[in-house]
Amino acid sequence: MIMSEPATIPDANAPAGMLEGDLVRRARRGELQAYDELVKRYQERIYATIYHMTSNHEDANDLAQESFIKAYSALKSFKGGSSFYTWLYRIAVNKTINFLKQRKNKYHISLNDLDFNAEHDPDLVALISDKTPQRDAGLSELQKKLNEALLKLSEPHRMVVVLHDVQGVSHEEIAEIVGCNIGTVRSRLFYARQQLQGYLAEYIKS
Amino acid sequence: MNESNNNFEELKRLLKLKQHEVPSPGYFNRFSGEVIARVRAGEAGDAQGLIDELRQSSWLAGLLRVFQAKPGVIGGVATSLCLMLLIGVVLADRPDSVPRDLFASSTPAPESASPLVAAVPMVNTSGIAVSTNPVVSLQPVATLFGQQQNPLFQSASFAAPGQ
Repeated sequence: MIMSEPATIPDANAPAGMLEGDLVRRARRGELQAYDELVKRYQERIYATIYHMTSNHEDANDLAQESFIKAYSALKSFKGGSSFYTWLYRIAVNKTINFLKQRKNKYHISLNDLDFNAEHDPDLVALISDKTPQRDAGLSELQKKLNEALLKLSEPHRMVVVLHDVQGVSHEEIAEIVGCNIGTVRSRLFYARQQLQGYLAEYIKS
Repeated sequence: MNESNNNFEELKRLLKLKQHEVPSPGYFNRFSGEVIARVRAGEAGDAQGLIDELRQSSWLAGLLRVFQAKPGVIGGVATSLCLMLLIGVVLADRPDSVPRDLFASSTPAPESASPLVAAVPMVNTSGIAVSTNPVVSLQPVATLFGQQQNPLFQSASFAAPGQ
């Protein structure tokens, strides 16, 4: 007789099925299982933001872990005025900015590999084939040039580009995360794009 | 303006490449576990860490770390130091605060001269009071030539050398 496994029913009390507010409340009481779920929900976005700012996987790994640890220890001071996600982002951003200030211009690039989908992205394929003067330029070279150009920007300008153009965060959310008004976000974004346009002119000629 | 926007569109397409940069497979499966392990280690090590640090490093460095970790301790230590200093200054200004027995202790007084011993009569269980102190009368004693003399005092005469 073959015993079939029972069908998995979503459990509202399990951390994976909980709302963010419930998870935060439980984590504040010291339930690490709840905090583990919060980490899982936001780890990719937090890591990506830091990685795109530093262009270094090891630094991004350390800073992302430290950001989550700092957030856990500071959970009791989280008043709930903003979403946990925004609050967590603010911690990660501040930690990254402080790190970059200490590191100054001692950049050590350690880039992640491109995923399989990059080769099939029509926009990127077009960039390295039709519109690029250096037609034989591969995606890896383009990736390196792009990261070098980003590192030439100041930290506040790089942060706005990363959050908006790479991660798709809205102007309002960026203003809340970075701690400035929306007008400043827009002007920083415009200036940063202009700068990048100049650095990457050979790749984005129409 | 339109041309500029078009260029920004090109730039945005180029920036899409960043979204394809991903860490090695399985990285995020381990990530939360590592964070939780570090949180647990931090919680366990918070109490023990402070003691260990004090033991491992020099006492001064340890003290500084304690001050950094608990700023309230600085206030307590500073207050007690100020109190000690104040007490020291007050005691130094009082002339009677110098202990008189500093020199007396080196030459012990004869037992009979001790007023404490003289004042307390030794009690014998047999009912006879025993005292080693001489009985001295402070009343003037009549002498042979009618002069009154206090036996406690003797007149001294000095003769200058050469006389």
